[in-house]
Amino acid sequence: MSSDIFLFFEVMVFNTIELILLVLQFVVIYHTFFILKYWDFNKTSDYQYTLEKKSYLISLIIYFSIIVKIIIYPYFIFTLDTLSTIIPGAMCAAGVISANEYGEILFVLKSSIVLFGFIWLAINKLDIRSKRFLYIKKRLYFYIVIFLLFIIEFFLDISFFLNLTTRDLVSCCSVIFSQDSGTLPFGISTTVLLSLFYISFTILFISNIKKYKYLSFIFSFIFLYLSYYSVIYFFAPYIYQLPTHHCPFCMMQSDYYFIGYFIFFSLFLGIFFSVVNGAMKLLKIDRYFNNSNLYSNIFLSIFTFICTSYVVVYFIKNGVFYQSNPVLSFSQ
Amino acid sequence: MIKLEDIYKIYNQNKTNQFSAIKDINLTILHNELVLIKGVSGSGKSTLLSVMATFIKPTSGKLQILDEQVTKYPDIYLSQFRAKNIGFVFQSFNLFENLSIYENILPPLIVSFSKQKSQKKRIDETLKLLDIYDKKDQIVSTLSGGEKQRSAIARAIINDPDILFFDEPTANLDQKNSENFLVIIKKLKSLGKTIIISTHDTIFDKLDCIDKTITLFKGRIVEQ
Repeated sequence: MSSDIFLFFEVMVFNTIELILLVLQFVVIYHTFFILKYWDFNKTSDYQYTLEKKSYLISLIIYFSIIVKIIIYPYFIFTLDTLSTIIPGAMCAAGVISANEYGEILFVLKSSIVLFGFIWLAINKLDIRSKRFLYIKKRLYFYIVIFLLFIIEFFLDISFFLNLTTRDLVSCCSVIFSQDSGTLPFGISTTVLLSLFYISFTILFISNIKKYKYLSFIFSFIFLYLSYYSVIYFFAPYIYQLPTHHCPFCMMQSDYYFIGYFIFFSLFLGIFFSVVNGAMKLLKIDRYFNNSNLYSNIFLSIFTFICTSYVVVYFIKNGVFYQSNPVLSFSQ
Repeated sequence: MIKLEDIYKIYNQNKTNQFSAIKDINLTILHNELVLIKGVSGSGKSTLLSVMATFIKPTSGKLQILDEQVTKYPDIYLSQFRAKNIGFVFQSFNLFENLSIYENILPPLIVSFSKQKSQKKRIDETLKLLDIYDKKDQIVSTLSGGEKQRSAIARAIINDPDILFFDEPTANLDQKNSENFLVIIKKLKSLGKTIIISTHDTIFDKLDCIDKTITLFKGRIVEQ
């Protein structure tokens, strides 16, 4: 274990923000308890009015915390990227994340918190629109889940940075995401993966047009899963114009015009807008966002277009696909 | 139209200087009524007016305006409700002294997202109604007390709200302007407005269209 990493400027900034946010959550959870226990909107007693004022306060704190979490999520990736300069073997954030057993689970947890946070913001917006705070208890119970994730995340952050060392060699992204070390899910070939990618995109696109909430909800996660593997094992080499380069983090660097941010930003937003109405239905909230399916289709189309365009441009320039052909080389 | 049930307003609650400004207020005001709220200084008139106009929330109790329980609304909806349905004329008018009458009246129209073309027409009509059209481009600081009051009234009625509140409207006026004000009130009542006036001025005894007089003493209604 080493505490040297904590003295790194970006790590200090990141952990300070996380600590402040965590402290704010304890303020929120304290008031949340009283609201959940005593809230009765039909009452006009002074305690009920006090609870209503408190609900504004904690909603604002939660809102602020989630927005900050969303903003520092790419900052976390940027921090890892910066750490790669001092961690031997790591060429980018991928190497740093894989440096110990906490990295990957922390990254998945942070991604989940961002998604849950977006859903909370959606419930909050619908609740305010209802004028009678119809969903306040639901969004506070949902917040409790987020609160628990915040706590786990904080301890995972500490464990992750504490277990980063500048002495031990870690794998770089070309090893982590190499053709040899990476296997596609269920042993499928890249051809099948790509087919599933475009089929699931089409199904999701149509489902969004038809506004099938549950189908969009389910296929969003299927598409997300397939997109992750598709970007790494098929599209990435075309972005890097290097058949052996599969890293999902390097494409966020300036060398590649930060295209990774556009790719993942459009993917996550597309998934969120696709999922949100299904999530509302699951939470038994009978209000929805009329245009979310449209926004989902727009963002997912942008994502798919960006990824596909690299392949098309490469083919137009060279007349062939990659010779080392991930399509063939992964074939089983 | 306006219904208050068991309304209390306590300032500095749970502190040593806790103070109950209004207590146990139960009141119903019907559409197009002209209501006077009387009482000595410190009796709670302004607080009652501010609660009814939704500027401040009561500590407890229920306030219903136009069948909507406004005390429960989030601020964003309360602001929209107030912009659409309520006009308030303050004791000191609260006009922007370095702007013209026209510029003072414009903001409520902007807030209510009215179209630019209709804004000028609406302002001109309102200024003509209150006989200050010829001074619309005059800076407020150069106006007389009566003209300032009419400008404040114009601002309050520009969005054609159903309910108008006046807080001590004659406090800064001389006798002549106070009597002119009574004429304006009659005009507004004839337009179907519900009018609530907080005052301790006896000039209102001359007004023959008062529907209700409420007397406050130490925060309570002692006479209705």
